[in-house]
Amino acid sequence: MNYPDNGAYMVAAYVVTAIVVVGYAAMLFFRIRKLR
Amino acid sequence: MTRRDKALQLARRGGIVTGLAIAGLVGVYIRALVYTPIERFQGPAQKIFYVHAPVAWASLLAFAVCGLLSLAYLFMRDRRVDLLAVSSAEVGVALSVAMLTTGPIWGKPIWGTWWTWDARLTSTLFLFLLFVGYLVLRGALSDLEVRARYSAAVGVMALVLVPFIHVTVYWFRTLHPAPVVMKPESPSLPGVMLTTLLISIAVFTLLYIGFLMLRYALAVLEDVKLEEAAHELS
Repeated sequence: MNYPDNGAYMVAAYVVTAIVVVGYAAMLFFRIRKLR
Repeated sequence: MTRRDKALQLARRGGIVTGLAIAGLVGVYIRALVYTPIERFQGPAQKIFYVHAPVAWASLLAFAVCGLLSLAYLFMRDRRVDLLAVSSAEVGVALSVAMLTTGPIWGKPIWGTWWTWDARLTSTLFLFLLFVGYLVLRGALSDLEVRARYSAAVGVMALVLVPFIHVTVYWFRTLHPAPVVMKPESPSLPGVMLTTLLISIAVFTLLYIGFLMLRYALAVLEDVKLEEAAHELS
Protein backbone atom coordinates (compact mmCIF):
# COMPACT_ATOMS: atom_id res chain seq x y z
CA MET A 1 0.00 0.00 0.00
CA ASN A 2 1.30 3.49 -0.86
CA TYR A 3 1.38 6.00 1.97
CA PRO A 4 2.26 9.72 1.91
CA ASP A 5 6.01 10.16 2.38
CA ASN A 6 6.01 12.13 5.65
CA GLY A 7 7.88 9.87 8.06
CA ALA A 8 10.44 12.61 8.81
CA TYR A 9 7.73 14.72 10.48
CA MET A 10 6.79 11.76 12.68
CA VAL A 11 10.42 11.22 13.71
CA ALA A 12 10.84 14.95 14.43
CA ALA A 13 7.74 15.01 16.69
CA TYR A 14 8.88 11.94 18.65
CA VAL A 15 12.38 13.35 19.08
CA VAL A 16 11.08 16.75 20.24
CA THR A 17 8.78 15.09 22.80
CA ALA A 18 11.64 12.94 24.14
CA ILE A 19 13.92 16.00 24.42
CA VAL A 20 11.27 18.00 26.32
CA VAL A 21 10.43 15.14 28.71
CA VAL A 22 14.00 14.03 29.45
CA GLY A 23 15.25 17.63 29.48
CA TYR A 24 12.66 18.77 32.02
CA ALA A 25 13.25 15.68 34.19
CA ALA A 26 17.01 16.40 34.17
CA MET A 27 16.40 20.07 34.97
CA LEU A 28 14.26 19.15 38.01
CA PHE A 29 16.85 16.59 39.14
CA PHE A 30 19.71 19.11 39.02
CA ARG A 31 17.68 21.88 40.70
CA ILE A 32 16.81 19.50 43.56
CA ARG A 33 20.41 18.28 43.84
CA LYS A 34 21.61 21.90 44.13
CA LEU A 35 19.35 22.44 47.16
CA ARG A 36 20.11 19.11 48.83
CA MET B 1 11.08 14.30 60.40
CA THR B 2 11.86 17.86 59.22
CA ARG B 3 10.26 19.56 56.19
CA ARG B 4 13.56 19.17 54.34
CA ASP B 5 13.66 15.41 55.02
CA LYS B 6 10.04 15.03 53.89
CA ALA B 7 10.78 16.99 50.69
CA LEU B 8 13.83 14.84 49.94
CA GLN B 9 11.79 11.68 50.52
CA LEU B 10 9.13 13.01 48.13
CA ALA B 11 11.84 13.84 45.58
CA ARG B 12 13.12 10.25 45.74
CA ARG B 13 9.60 8.87 45.22
CA GLY B 14 8.95 11.40 42.45
CA GLY B 15 12.17 10.27 40.78
CA ILE B 16 10.97 6.65 40.82
CA VAL B 17 7.54 7.58 39.39
CA THR B 18 9.16 9.77 36.69
CA GLY B 19 11.64 6.99 35.85
CA LEU B 20 8.78 4.49 35.47
CA ALA B 21 6.86 6.97 33.28
CA ILE B 22 9.90 7.54 31.03
CA ALA B 23 10.31 3.76 30.71
CA GLY B 24 6.59 3.64 29.84
CA LEU B 25 7.16 6.33 27.22
CA VAL B 26 9.83 4.16 25.60
CA GLY B 27 7.19 1.38 25.51
CA VAL B 28 4.67 3.76 23.91
CA TYR B 29 7.23 4.73 21.25
CA ILE B 30 7.88 1.06 20.42
CA ARG B 31 4.17 0.21 20.35
CA ALA B 32 3.25 3.28 18.26
CA LEU B 33 6.11 3.02 15.78
CA VAL B 34 6.36 -0.77 15.38
CA TYR B 35 3.07 -2.41 16.36
CA THR B 36 0.44 0.20 15.42
CA PRO B 37 -0.56 0.26 11.72
CA ILE B 38 0.07 3.26 9.48
CA GLU B 39 -3.11 5.21 8.71
CA ARG B 40 -3.90 5.00 4.99
CA PHE B 41 -4.56 8.68 4.17
CA GLN B 42 -2.28 10.59 6.58
CA GLY B 43 0.64 8.16 6.43
CA PRO B 44 3.31 7.93 9.17
CA ALA B 45 2.62 11.53 10.29
CA GLN B 46 -0.67 10.32 11.81
CA LYS B 47 1.42 8.58 14.51
CA ILE B 48 2.29 12.03 15.91
CA PHE B 49 -1.22 11.84 17.33
CA TYR B 50 -0.05 9.19 19.88
CA VAL B 51 2.23 11.72 21.56
CA HIS B 52 0.49 15.01 20.71
CA ALA B 53 -2.97 14.18 22.10
CA PRO B 54 -1.68 12.61 25.39
CA VAL B 55 0.78 15.45 26.03
CA ALA B 56 -2.04 17.94 25.36
CA TRP B 57 -4.20 16.03 27.86
CA ALA B 58 -1.44 16.12 30.49
CA SER B 59 -0.82 19.85 29.92
CA LEU B 60 -4.49 20.75 30.29
CA LEU B 61 -4.73 18.49 33.35
CA ALA B 62 -1.76 20.35 34.89
CA PHE B 63 -3.33 23.75 34.19
CA ALA B 64 -6.75 22.62 35.50
CA VAL B 65 -5.13 21.30 38.72
CA CYS B 66 -3.27 24.61 39.11
CA GLY B 67 -6.53 26.54 38.61
CA LEU B 68 -8.43 24.43 41.15
CA LEU B 69 -5.59 24.71 43.69
CA SER B 70 -5.50 28.47 43.10
CA LEU B 71 -9.20 28.63 43.90
CA ALA B 72 -8.61 26.53 47.01
CA TYR B 73 -5.75 28.83 48.07
CA LEU B 74 -7.99 31.91 47.97
CA PHE B 75 -10.22 30.23 50.59
CA MET B 76 -7.64 28.34 52.66
CA ARG B 77 -4.58 30.65 52.46
CA ASP B 78 -2.39 27.57 52.97
CA ARG B 79 1.18 27.99 51.64
CA ARG B 80 1.44 24.31 50.70
CA VAL B 81 -1.54 24.71 48.36
CA ASP B 82 0.17 27.69 46.72
CA LEU B 83 3.40 25.72 46.27
CA LEU B 84 1.50 22.78 44.76
CA ALA B 85 -0.33 25.17 42.38
CA VAL B 86 2.89 26.73 41.07
CA SER B 87 4.41 23.25 40.71
CA SER B 88 1.50 22.12 38.55
CA ALA B 89 1.71 25.35 36.50
CA GLU B 90 5.40 24.86 35.72
CA VAL B 91 4.89 21.21 34.76
CA GLY B 92 2.00 22.32 32.52
CA VAL B 93 4.20 24.90 30.80
CA ALA B 94 6.95 22.30 30.20
CA LEU B 95 4.49 19.77 28.74
CA SER B 96 2.85 22.53 26.65
CA VAL B 97 6.16 23.09 24.88
CA ALA B 98 5.87 19.52 23.56
CA MET B 99 2.16 20.01 22.74
CA LEU B 100 2.74 23.29 20.86
CA THR B 101 5.70 21.85 18.94
CA THR B 102 4.27 18.47 17.93
CA GLY B 103 0.98 20.07 16.77
CA PRO B 104 2.57 22.20 14.01
CA ILE B 105 4.89 19.31 13.05
CA TRP B 106 1.72 17.28 12.34
CA GLY B 107 -0.05 20.28 10.75
CA LYS B 108 2.58 20.92 8.08
CA PRO B 109 2.23 17.61 6.17
CA ILE B 110 -1.52 17.22 6.85
CA TRP B 111 -2.88 20.80 6.60
CA GLY B 112 -0.07 22.20 4.48
CA THR B 113 0.76 24.86 7.07
CA TRP B 114 2.65 24.92 10.37
CA TRP B 115 0.11 27.16 12.09
CA THR B 116 -3.32 28.68 11.60
CA TRP B 117 -4.98 31.24 13.87
CA ASP B 118 -8.14 29.26 14.50
CA ALA B 119 -9.98 29.06 17.81
CA ARG B 120 -8.38 25.85 19.18
CA LEU B 121 -4.79 26.72 18.36
CA THR B 122 -5.06 30.37 19.36
CA SER B 123 -6.76 29.65 22.70
CA THR B 124 -4.18 26.94 23.51
CA LEU B 125 -1.31 29.31 22.74
CA PHE B 126 -3.05 31.97 24.85
CA LEU B 127 -3.35 29.55 27.79
CA PHE B 128 0.36 28.70 27.50
CA LEU B 129 1.33 32.40 27.47
CA LEU B 130 -1.00 33.05 30.40
CA PHE B 131 0.87 30.47 32.49
CA VAL B 132 4.25 31.78 31.36
CA GLY B 133 2.96 35.15 32.63
CA TYR B 134 1.87 33.43 35.87
CA LEU B 135 5.44 32.18 36.43
CA VAL B 136 6.97 35.56 35.50
CA LEU B 137 4.57 37.31 37.90
CA ARG B 138 5.69 35.06 40.74
CA GLY B 139 9.31 35.84 40.00
CA ALA B 140 8.60 39.57 40.11
CA LEU B 141 6.94 39.64 43.56
CA SER B 142 9.01 39.26 46.71
CA ASP B 143 6.24 39.33 49.34
CA LEU B 144 5.23 35.66 49.68
CA GLU B 145 1.61 36.31 50.69
CA VAL B 146 1.01 38.89 47.92
CA ARG B 147 2.75 36.62 45.39
CA ALA B 148 0.53 33.67 46.33
CA ARG B 149 -2.68 35.77 46.23
CA TYR B 150 -1.96 37.48 42.88
CA SER B 151 -0.87 34.29 41.17
CA ALA B 152 -3.91 32.44 42.56
CA ALA B 153 -6.13 35.07 40.92
CA VAL B 154 -4.38 34.49 37.57
CA GLY B 155 -4.65 30.71 38.05
CA VAL B 156 -8.42 30.92 38.63
CA MET B 157 -8.91 33.10 35.52
CA ALA B 158 -6.87 30.65 33.44
CA LEU B 159 -8.98 27.75 34.74
CA VAL B 160 -11.94 29.07 32.73
CA LEU B 161 -9.96 28.60 29.51
CA VAL B 162 -9.43 24.84 29.99
CA PRO B 163 -13.02 23.68 29.29
CA PHE B 164 -13.31 26.45 26.67
CA ILE B 165 -10.38 24.94 24.73
CA HIS B 166 -12.10 21.54 24.79
CA VAL B 167 -15.32 22.90 23.23
CA THR B 168 -13.71 25.23 20.65
CA VAL B 169 -13.82 22.49 18.00
CA TYR B 170 -17.61 22.33 18.40
CA TRP B 171 -18.34 26.06 18.75
CA PHE B 172 -16.10 27.44 16.01
CA ARG B 173 -15.10 26.57 12.46
CA THR B 174 -11.65 25.09 12.95
CA LEU B 175 -9.10 22.95 11.13
CA HIS B 176 -8.30 21.06 14.34
CA PRO B 177 -9.81 17.54 14.49
CA ALA B 178 -12.65 16.94 16.96
CA PRO B 179 -11.94 14.70 19.99
CA VAL B 180 -11.83 10.98 19.21
CA VAL B 181 -12.10 9.74 22.81
CA MET B 182 -13.44 12.49 25.11
CA LYS B 183 -16.81 12.91 23.39
CA PRO B 184 -20.41 11.78 24.06
CA GLU B 185 -20.31 9.02 21.41
CA SER B 186 -18.04 5.96 21.52
CA PRO B 187 -14.38 6.47 20.44
CA SER B 188 -13.91 6.72 16.65
CA LEU B 189 -10.64 4.80 16.31
CA PRO B 190 -9.84 1.18 15.39
CA GLY B 191 -9.06 -0.99 18.43
CA VAL B 192 -5.27 -1.18 17.97
CA MET B 193 -4.92 2.58 17.55
CA LEU B 194 -7.26 3.29 20.47
CA THR B 195 -5.25 0.96 22.75
CA THR B 196 -1.99 2.74 21.82
CA LEU B 197 -3.60 6.10 22.49
CA LEU B 198 -5.03 5.02 25.87
CA ILE B 199 -1.68 3.54 26.98
CA SER B 200 0.02 6.78 25.98
CA ILE B 201 -2.55 8.85 27.91
CA ALA B 202 -1.91 6.68 31.01
CA VAL B 203 1.88 7.11 30.61
CA PHE B 204 1.66 10.89 30.23
CA THR B 205 -0.65 11.08 33.26
CA LEU B 206 1.94 9.13 35.28
CA LEU B 207 4.64 11.44 33.92
CA TYR B 208 2.63 14.45 35.10
CA ILE B 209 2.31 12.92 38.59
CA GLY B 210 6.07 12.19 38.72
CA PHE B 211 6.98 15.69 37.56
CA LEU B 212 4.51 17.22 40.02
CA MET B 213 6.05 15.28 42.93
CA LEU B 214 9.57 16.37 41.92
CA ARG B 215 8.57 20.00 41.35
CA TYR B 216 6.65 20.19 44.64
CA ALA B 217 9.63 18.73 46.51
CA LEU B 218 11.78 21.40 44.86
CA ALA B 219 9.30 24.14 45.86
CA VAL B 220 9.39 22.97 49.49
CA LEU B 221 13.22 22.84 49.48
CA GLU B 222 13.31 26.42 48.11
CA ASP B 223 10.81 27.48 50.78
CA VAL B 224 12.91 25.86 53.54
CA LYS B 225 16.00 27.66 52.22
CA LEU B 226 14.14 31.00 52.30
CA GLU B 227 13.03 30.35 55.89
CA GLU B 228 16.60 29.48 56.93
CA ALA B 229 17.93 32.66 55.29
CA ALA B 230 15.27 34.77 57.03
CA HIS B 231 16.10 33.06 60.35
CA GLU B 232 19.83 33.81 59.94
CA LEU B 233 19.09 37.48 59.20
CA SER B 234 16.93 37.85 62.31
